[in-house]
Amino acid sequence: MDNNILLDIKGLCAGVEGKEILKGVDLTVRRGEVHAIMGPNGAGKSTLGAVLTGRPGYEVTGGSVTYDGRDLLAMSPEERSWAGLFLSFQYPIEIPGVSITNFMKAAVNSRRKAQGLPEMGAADFLKLLREKMEFVRMKGEFAKREVNVGFSGGEKKRGEIFQMAMLDPVLGILDETDSGLDVDALKTVADGVNSLRSPQKSFIIITHYQKLLEYIRPDVVHVLKDGRTIRTGGPELSDRIWQEGFESING
Amino acid sequence: MDKVLVIGRDSVPDRIVLGGGENLSLTLAVLPGTDCDLSLEIDLDAPGASLDLAGIFVCRGSENVSINVNVRHNSGSCISTQLFKGIAGGKARARFNGLIYVAPDSQKTKAYQQCHTILLDGDAVVEARPQLEIYADDVECSHGATSGYLNEDERFYMQSRGIPVQDARRLQMISFLSAVASRLPEELRQQIYDSLS
Repeated sequence: MDNNILLDIKGLCAGVEGKEILKGVDLTVRRGEVHAIMGPNGAGKSTLGAVLTGRPGYEVTGGSVTYDGRDLLAMSPEERSWAGLFLSFQYPIEIPGVSITNFMKAAVNSRRKAQGLPEMGAADFLKLLREKMEFVRMKGEFAKREVNVGFSGGEKKRGEIFQMAMLDPVLGILDETDSGLDVDALKTVADGVNSLRSPQKSFIIITHYQKLLEYIRPDVVHVLKDGRTIRTGGPELSDRIWQEGFESING
Repeated sequence: MDKVLVIGRDSVPDRIVLGGGENLSLTLAVLPGTDCDLSLEIDLDAPGASLDLAGIFVCRGSENVSINVNVRHNSGSCISTQLFKGIAGGKARARFNGLIYVAPDSQKTKAYQQCHTILLDGDAVVEARPQLEIYADDVECSHGATSGYLNEDERFYMQSRGIPVQDARRLQMISFLSAVASRLPEELRQQIYDSLS
């Protein structure tokens, strides 16, 4: 087996409430690579993100997903997180009454517990929190706010990138993180992702605009249409889509 | 004045009368393991009286919790808000009856009531009966009652951040109760949160 392969998706079929949405997705992500998944609305892009992270309600009907040599589909959502998977939600959930600090403390320490490590000390945790907040240019009071409650669209997306930085994933999946963002917020998100890039870490950027891909240059671009990966290529593929539209790409 | 009454520990008056300009902030707490049949009548008798009432109950065994609140706006220009939050599980039964009465000519009344409950499993029973009885026309009144289950999307969001399902459920309950729990003294709040695991 190729040790450098982090994620291997083969013939993945999945749906929701008996309706098949993914009809055979093939995707291989190597360590250190950034992949973009593009496609028109309804192509199945968000479904792919949902299936990879184990969202309830999505049923896998065929194919396989291997992550770091393990059967990803057999793992619970929290096990996937512990193994280094992170999904930035398109619509982050509001959690009233729970502060960012407490939420992140629960997340960080849950993983440490699963890895047999003791809880992180208060001072170390605070240091980490401050560092990552700075990373997405969030101000001090951010840590005290309730998770996503009363956040603007841009703050929610930056909040997701902040959480991603806190959890330092091996595979980060960004589900339409660029939608509804102004250029400044887009740059913050892109800077965040770019500085997390390393030869060991990979990213999947789900988007239907090309804009974000100007700031985060992908190594590989896939076009998803009607639940299938119909084309795989280099970054030039996204440029072509931007100029000629999805209609120009046929399977 | 700010008051917290723990049902079964503190005595609760049957009736409270608020006169002109009097403000009462009162929180009722029904801790796990407590059976109760509570009836509370609150009269707002003169302009400028205001009531800020909240309640919290957690019953996950075989408790019988019954809360009956009757808020009467006998005079105009008074404000009352009520917020009740509860969690029921096991074989518990929780009943909430809330009546807001606005007397004839009690104009400029503002009265709001919310009761929200979470059912942890199918055997628990929750009954919420919010009622409005209004005999004045220049008023602002609303009531709402919901009962439901812990939200799956919320839980998945937490799990996707590595929080195991049992801890996520507890965090969801804390989140749900927080609007009322935040009114309690730290020790009492912690006692309730500790009971949720």
